[in-house]
Amino acid sequence: MRLLVVEDDALLAEGLTSVLTRAGHVVEHATTGRHADILLVDQDFDLVVLDVGLPDIDGFEVLRRLRQRHSTTNVLVLTARDAVEDRVRGLDLGADDYLTKPFSVNEFEARVRALLRRGAAPAAAWSVAGMTVDAAAKRIRVDDRPVDLTPREWALLELFLTHPGRVLSKDQIAENLFTFDEQLSANAIEVHVSRLRTKIQPAGAHIRTVRGFGYLWEGTDE
Amino acid sequence: MSDEPPRPPSIRRRLLVFLISSLVLMVSGAAIVTYWVAQRSANDAYDRSLLDPAFDIADNVNVDATGAHVDLPQKALEALVYDQVDKVIYQVRSPTNAIVDGVNDLPPPQDLSGEPHIFFDGMYRGEAIRVAAVRTPNGFVVQVGETLHKRNRLVGEILVAELVPTLLIAVGSIALAWLGISRGLIPLEDLRLELSNRAPRDLRPLATAAVPIELAPVVNAFNDLLDHLRGASTMQQRFLANAAHQLRTPLAGLQMHLELLFRRDLPPDLRSELERMHSATVRASRLANQLLALAKAESVPDKSREFENIDLRAVADTAARDWAAKAIAQNVDLGFSLERAEILGDPLLLPELVDNLIDNALRYIGGGGSVTVGTGSIDGVPYLSVEDTGPGIPLSERSKVLDRFYRIAGTRGEGSGLGLAIVQEVVDRHEGTLEITDGAGGRGTCVRVMFPRKRERG
Repeated sequence: MRLLVVEDDALLAEGLTSVLTRAGHVVEHATTGRHADILLVDQDFDLVVLDVGLPDIDGFEVLRRLRQRHSTTNVLVLTARDAVEDRVRGLDLGADDYLTKPFSVNEFEARVRALLRRGAAPAAAWSVAGMTVDAAAKRIRVDDRPVDLTPREWALLELFLTHPGRVLSKDQIAENLFTFDEQLSANAIEVHVSRLRTKIQPAGAHIRTVRGFGYLWEGTDE
Repeated sequence: MSDEPPRPPSIRRRLLVFLISSLVLMVSGAAIVTYWVAQRSANDAYDRSLLDPAFDIADNVNVDATGAHVDLPQKALEALVYDQVDKVIYQVRSPTNAIVDGVNDLPPPQDLSGEPHIFFDGMYRGEAIRVAAVRTPNGFVVQVGETLHKRNRLVGEILVAELVPTLLIAVGSIALAWLGISRGLIPLEDLRLELSNRAPRDLRPLATAAVPIELAPVVNAFNDLLDHLRGASTMQQRFLANAAHQLRTPLAGLQMHLELLFRRDLPPDLRSELERMHSATVRASRLANQLLALAKAESVPDKSREFENIDLRAVADTAARDWAAKAIAQNVDLGFSLERAEILGDPLLLPELVDNLIDNALRYIGGGGSVTVGTGSIDGVPYLSVEDTGPGIPLSERSKVLDRFYRIAGTRGEGSGLGLAIVQEVVDRHEGTLEITDGAGGRGTCVRVMFPRKRERG
């Protein structure tokens, strides 16, 4: 995949580029907002890793111009300043995700993978946490044995897979699994999660409970 | 404090001292003038009635062979010099100054030459008297004197009639002045109240609309000063924010490269060396974050940082997303018990408060324990609490842990000692209270922050 890293700090840019190159991506690098803006006008990227603090026009402006051109390119914003202010502003401007500096390499890789998957063709089958996921058929295989999932369990798994390492509150899950004919209660969510957990347990994937709050997908990718 | 310099007199006192002393001077002056005028009026009124018997007697002084004598019956004489109030005496002296009739111990009058009669003040048997002296054409001198009781009474009456209203007006003026000064000083008192009710770091300018023209220069000068302070404080904040930002990016780069190195096949001694560098880098980043948070918490509130309606549950919600993965990685059971808790608060500072409380709990708890974040309200008082099953904080340390850079001796974990100091700053900013107690069942620590009820604020 083609990725663009926009970061003015040489050390960090080099690290990011190296991580992404090793993961098999083609990486372009820009050190200024203007350069990034020009690259984004001319070329298509699957993902932009965008630092907020840039020497000329800041990352938010680059993002604003990108969305103004109706581009749907995934954008992962890196913030170093005031985490809360920047994350809210970034998401408002159409960032797909954010990371606050400093972050661990693992976290960065997980976020990049999740974002790239979001943009990928749904037909692709991929393996995750010891199981193979066939998004087109809405089926998974654990230890090469097919496992049947109900539509609701599939929706739940899909939600978790697109939010690795992220906590999903019960409210959030209910909102995502909401259908017109049925309102999901917190208890119902617990039941669905528990069933899904049992079905994928052999693969070594873990759905961790955050007491009194929700769940977190802890499966390590690839 | 005993060595405080003596306080200059108050404005009220200065005004009153000036007013009262001027009034005392004016009233005394008026009293002197009135006394003088009253005396003259009394003399004018009574001197005439003293002259009548003197003339009557003078008309009846006759000289014959037996010598000079007053040709009036004793009864008539007595009637002439009779008075209800005063004692009246008379004396007739011959041209040779011999006493012809009347009392003999009245001194001779002053020189009467050229004038038919005179009045003068004199003494008779130790008592002040007023005397009328008349000279007859044949050189006899008749003196009639009377004591001053009538005159003094009239003087007294005139004085009372004149001075009582004046005194009443003076006292009334002082009372009115007292009232007027008090009313006039109300804006000053208002200003004092506004200043003393101010939060310590509130550097917003004072309202100038209701300030009277005399106070306006003071308030304006004060606002200029506040403006300077605000500017200086904003600059310091900006500097800190920039410094923290500039620090975090290279630290992020450093951390990333170290983590990439861990993926290589490394000799064990090199790996452990790098791991120490990595943990130092993480610590430095955290310190940069905390210094930034502290600067934010201490900073001056401005227009962009007004308090907003905030549900503490939403703040804890964000914290849950930020901290759950870290807690799980550390094998700590991080749980939440969240109820609505609406407060007026700073949307940027409250996350710092929660983050530092959770961070602190996770830092010292060790694996296997649990941390519970709670929000809600007790008796209408909104609170946020973080309870852990860690080693607990001894009673003697509970007040000290809120100090900056204070760390309990012998504790594990590599804290900066800034976490709870930031929490305290944020609590102060919200005029809340913080209490540290034992956790449930006497185990661990419970830090609870209580916020003012929403309607208690202006």
